[in-house]
Amino acid sequence: MSARYGMVIDLDRCTGCGSCMVACASENNVPSLPQASDRTGLTPMLVRRISNGKQDESRREAFVPILCMQCEHETPCVSVCPQQAVEVDKATGIVMQMPQRCLGCRYCMTACPYHARYFNWWDPAWPAGMEKSLSPGVAVRMRGVVEKCNLCHGRLHSAQEKAAGAGKREIDPADYVPACVEACPTGAIRFGNLADDNDPVSQETHSPEAFRLLARIGTEPKVFYKSKEPWVRALADGSGAEVKRG
Amino acid sequence: MKVTRRDWLVWGAGATAGVVLSPVPWKLLGDTSIWTQNWPWIPQPARGPLEVKASACTLCPNGCGLRVRMAGGWPVGLAGLRSHPVSQGALCPLGFGAHQLIWHPARLRAVRHRGGASSWDEARAAFVKACSEGPVGIVDGFPGRAASSVFESFAQKRNGAYRAVLGPESQALTPYEAWTRVPARNLGFDLENARTIVSFGAPLLDGWGTPGRFSHLWAERAAGQSDPQLRLIHVETSLSTTGSRAWRRIVIRPGSEAALASGIARVLIEDKLVPARGPMPLLTLSQAAEQSGISADAIRELAHTMVASQPVIAIANDDNPAIAALNVILGAVGSRGGIVQRSKPKHSTISTADLRDMRAVLIDSSMPWEFVPETRAEVFRFAAWDGGPTRADWLLPTPALLEDLTDMPTAPASAIETYAIAAPLVAPPTGTLSAAQFLAEIDPAAAPVEKIIRARCDELLRGRAGTVHAQESTPVTNIATAEKLEEQLRNGGVWVGEPPRAAALRCDLKEWPAERPSKPSARSSAWAAPVLPPLATKLYEESNLLQPVPRRNS
Repeated sequence: MSARYGMVIDLDRCTGCGSCMVACASENNVPSLPQASDRTGLTPMLVRRISNGKQDESRREAFVPILCMQCEHETPCVSVCPQQAVEVDKATGIVMQMPQRCLGCRYCMTACPYHARYFNWWDPAWPAGMEKSLSPGVAVRMRGVVEKCNLCHGRLHSAQEKAAGAGKREIDPADYVPACVEACPTGAIRFGNLADDNDPVSQETHSPEAFRLLARIGTEPKVFYKSKEPWVRALADGSGAEVKRG
Repeated sequence: MKVTRRDWLVWGAGATAGVVLSPVPWKLLGDTSIWTQNWPWIPQPARGPLEVKASACTLCPNGCGLRVRMAGGWPVGLAGLRSHPVSQGALCPLGFGAHQLIWHPARLRAVRHRGGASSWDEARAAFVKACSEGPVGIVDGFPGRAASSVFESFAQKRNGAYRAVLGPESQALTPYEAWTRVPARNLGFDLENARTIVSFGAPLLDGWGTPGRFSHLWAERAAGQSDPQLRLIHVETSLSTTGSRAWRRIVIRPGSEAALASGIARVLIEDKLVPARGPMPLLTLSQAAEQSGISADAIRELAHTMVASQPVIAIANDDNPAIAALNVILGAVGSRGGIVQRSKPKHSTISTADLRDMRAVLIDSSMPWEFVPETRAEVFRFAAWDGGPTRADWLLPTPALLEDLTDMPTAPASAIETYAIAAPLVAPPTGTLSAAQFLAEIDPAAAPVEKIIRARCDELLRGRAGTVHAQESTPVTNIATAEKLEEQLRNGGVWVGEPPRAAALRCDLKEWPAERPSKPSARSSAWAAPVLPPLATKLYEESNLLQPVPRRNS
C-alpha cells in the first residue's frame, strides 16, 4: 500500500527554539560554512518569526518552521526541472531531489512558492577531522546542486532495511521519524501517513484549526499547520493584510 | 565488396542513431555527473559499525539525557534520551550539534602560557610553586560533582577557597537560604504542580533550566489555550520569546521588578487575598506603580489574577530578594507547586572568600569562558576550547563532551533529586587533562573521580531509596551491588530520588527585604561554553531566528 507521508505543525506549541533546524542539519550532513548568510545558507528546515504587526503590549509573535511542503498536486518544482532531478515518489509521496541529476539551473527554486529550496554555492566542507562526525547513510551534496528537505529519506531507508531484515514489507511507523520531529521539545511537529485514516496525524489535518500555506494556489502540500490564532492563519494564507512579517 | 561513400554515410547514420537510442549516452552522462560529485576532497560520511549509546550532556549543569549514535567508534549524531526523567527526550538546539565540538577548530590541544607554547610539567611546577607561596582559589561551575569534591578537598588542605558559581536558576533560590536555613542547592521549583507561574524576566521557554522540562509542561498544559491549566504570566522589559508565547505579558520599566513584586505583595495582604504570612512591603502601591510604569489598577488586577488559579509561584532571573519575599507572601515556599526542598543538606565548604587574596586561582572547564575572576593572582584556566582573549595566565586543555568521566548531580532548578554518570565514549586527545586529574597528580593522596563516583553509588545503594530510570525503571532496592548500580548509570540510567516533601520546609521572613540592585549571575542561562558548534550558524547567521552572540567563536 502506498503511503503519503506528511506533517502537522502546531504553531501554538512552537517556541522557536531552533532545535529542529540544527537536528535537521546534523542528520542530513548539511554543511555550515563561515561565508554562508541568511541568503546563501542551507537551511532545509528554517524557522521564521512572524508577528501580528503591533508594537505595543498586544504584540504577539509566532514561529513558523518552513520546510519542503511535499506538494501533491502539480508539484511546481517537478514540472520545471529540465533534468528530471525532482519527482514525487509514488510509494511515499515524498518529493525527491536527486542531486546527481541536478545541473544547478535553479528553476525549481524560482518555481517553489514556499522558498524551501536551497542552492549549494560552495563545496561542502567541515573543519579538519569533523568529517568523522557526519551522519552515515546520507551522502554529502556538492557545489552547484539544489537541495531541500526530503523528510529524512535516509531514515526511511534504514526503516525499510530493518523491515526487510525482519521479512516484512511494511515499515514500523516508529522506525521512521524525521530528525526535526524527534528533536522538537514541545511536540509541535508531528509526522505520519496522511493516506491512513487511522493515523492521528492524518486525522489532525481535518481539524478546523489546520491549514496549509498558500492553500489557494492548489499545490496541496502534505505539510499542514495548526493554530488557534486568526492572525496566524490569515498570514499563512497570504491574505494577512493587517499583519506584517516580524 | 566495395565500400562506397554511401555505405559510410549509412553506417555512420545508423551507428549514431543506435548510440542515441541505446542507454549508453545516458549512462555515461549519469556516471559523469556522479563522478563529478565525488571528488576526493568532498567529505564522505563515517563508515563502520553503528551503535547507539546513552549518556548525559555535560555542557551545562542541567545534564540532559543523551542518545548518542556512533559510527566506527565516533559520535555521528545526538538526540534526547526519552527515559530521562527531567529532560524527557529534549535537548537545547546547540546540544544537537555538540558532537561536532570534539573537532572544533578552536579546540585546545596543548598547554599555553601567556599566549606562548608550554607544557604540563611547567604548568604543574608553576601551580605547585603558587600553592607553596599562598592560598589557592578553585572556581567550579557545576558544583556537586565528584570533581567538585576533589576541588573542595584540595582547597581545604591548602587553606584555600572553593567557590561555586551558580547559574540564574540557582541564584534565584539563594534568598531563601537565610529564611529557611537550607542551602539553595537543596531547593528546587516544583513547576509540575503549579497552576500559575509568574516569571520576572526568567526565560522559561528560552534556555531556562533543563530545556525539556518546562517546554513539555507548557506544551501540554498551556500552549494555545485561552484558559490554560498552567497560566504563564511573563513580566519583562522588552519582548522575548517567552513573553511572546506567554498567557499574559506585562511590560515594565527596566530594573523595576522588585517594585512590582512589592506592589503585588501589598495588594495580596491589603485585599486579604492570602493569609498573612509575612511583612508588609515598604513601598506603597502608588510608589510601586510609579516605579514599574504600570498603573496601580493593573497591579491590583495582576495580583487578583495570580491567586485566581493556585498554586502560584514567582520566578526571578537573579537573586532578587523582593521576588523571593513575594513567594513567601503567596505561601509558595515549602508548599506543593512552589519552592521545595529536594534533598538533605550535606556538609560543604563552599566559600565566598575574596579571590583577590589568593596567590593562584584555578578555574575549572565548567565555568563559562566569559567568567573573569577579580584577582591579580596567577590564573590557571582549564578549557576544552579557546574562546578568545582571556585574562588567564595558563590555558590548560581538558577532555571535551563525551571524552571524560563525570557525574551529573541534580539539575539546578529541578524539584527532584537525580544522579547520572556520563561515561567517556571516545578517547580524549593526547595531552589533555581534566582539572581533577591535574590536582590528583599534585596530591596523590586525593581520591580520584572514579573512586568518588563508586562511593556515591555505594551511598545511593545503602540509602535504599529512589529508582533508576533507564529503558525500564528499577527500584534501588532491587539492585544487588554498587558495581551494578554504577554500570546502569554509566549506560545512561538516571537515579531519581523520592518526591520532595513540601511541608518539610519552614520559612521565617521577619522584614520585607531592603531594595538593592540585582546581581546578575556570572553564568547566563544562554549557552555557556566558550565556542558554539559549527551548526549553530543555522540559528545565528543562516537565519534570523536568534541574534548573534558576541564574544563567541571570535
